[in-house]
Amino acid sequence: MAFQSPMPSRDFLMDIFRRVDKDRSGYISADELQQALSNGTWNPFNPETVRLMIGMFDKQSRGVISFEDFGALWKYVSEWQNCFRSFDRDNSGNIDRQELKNALTAFGYRLSDEVVGIMVQKFDRFGRGTILFDDFIQCCVTLYTLTSAFRQYDTDQDGVITIHYEQFLKMVFGLKV
Amino acid sequence: MGHGPYPNIPIGGGVSPQVQQWFRAVDKDQSGFITAAELKGALVNAQGQSFSDTACNLMIGMFDKDRTGTINVEEFDKLYTYVNQWLTVFKTYDVDQSGHIEEQELSKAMSQMGFRFTPEFINFLIKRSDPKDGRVSVDQFIVLCVQIQRFTEAFRVRDTQQNGTVTIAFEDFLNVALSCSI
Repeated sequence: MAFQSPMPSRDFLMDIFRRVDKDRSGYISADELQQALSNGTWNPFNPETVRLMIGMFDKQSRGVISFEDFGALWKYVSEWQNCFRSFDRDNSGNIDRQELKNALTAFGYRLSDEVVGIMVQKFDRFGRGTILFDDFIQCCVTLYTLTSAFRQYDTDQDGVITIHYEQFLKMVFGLKV
Repeated sequence: MGHGPYPNIPIGGGVSPQVQQWFRAVDKDQSGFITAAELKGALVNAQGQSFSDTACNLMIGMFDKDRTGTINVEEFDKLYTYVNQWLTVFKTYDVDQSGHIEEQELSKAMSQMGFRFTPEFINFLIKRSDPKDGRVSVDQFIVLCVQIQRFTEAFRVRDTQQNGTVTIAFEDFLNVALSCSI
């Protein structure tokens, strides 16, 4: 992915970590992370996205982020910021339908306007037909999860699978795990 | 009929006074409409916890017919009935009255609702809802059942040979996954 961020120095990370860890517990909670992140508006960062990120980087499954995990999380957020900015061509602070289509095409997808429309509808939390930074992360990670699930069954890679009822349910339910 | 910001209180019939009263109590900013956030303040499970954001968004989504993102008193009346129906179902299966539905109780509930799931799948559903304690609260139960109903319907439509399998292309799969889930 062309949005690589170099890993910053330990001191730099520690400085940020301390500022995010408001209660000085030595761990970053979902609330603290939510407060530290911005989606470019005065609305709180999408709590689903926060939970998603905690889930991805909380190596000890405690529901919080330790300093050891923080570097990887920081890098992840930075790369998403780079990605988002590169597709927010008009610098509006949000991604509209066409910009999303461009982003997905760049990721290697060939999706119809209809499906892109459904994605905007699903991830546009404020009903303005556009997607903010936090919703963009959610959208892309969801797409990635579904694609991975599909790919597992698509052994001949022809974009079509044949599956049983429970397999189908597990795949579509997989979103919330 | 009642599209403005003022609560529409019908003269006769329509919504019962109790439900109207409750609506007014839930409608914190007295806008005449209830948002998911206001609903969260009103719906509580057996543990005294508010219904999850997911459950509240689902409820608003189901009853917000004019797609305003909010519900008026008539839509609220239907939602109230709906939630109570689910509460009754939940209580039926919460045999030990723990306020939670455990794996065995969920298995029975699904079976009686007409689903034929393997024990592995029931286990998957439980773990997905509550990885730690393996049980389901009433709001989680509602979300689970509604999702299963939606996905099952989407599957059934595509199961042209009615043999419990579907052949599905990637985009259609995405379409279903995104449209039916909450």
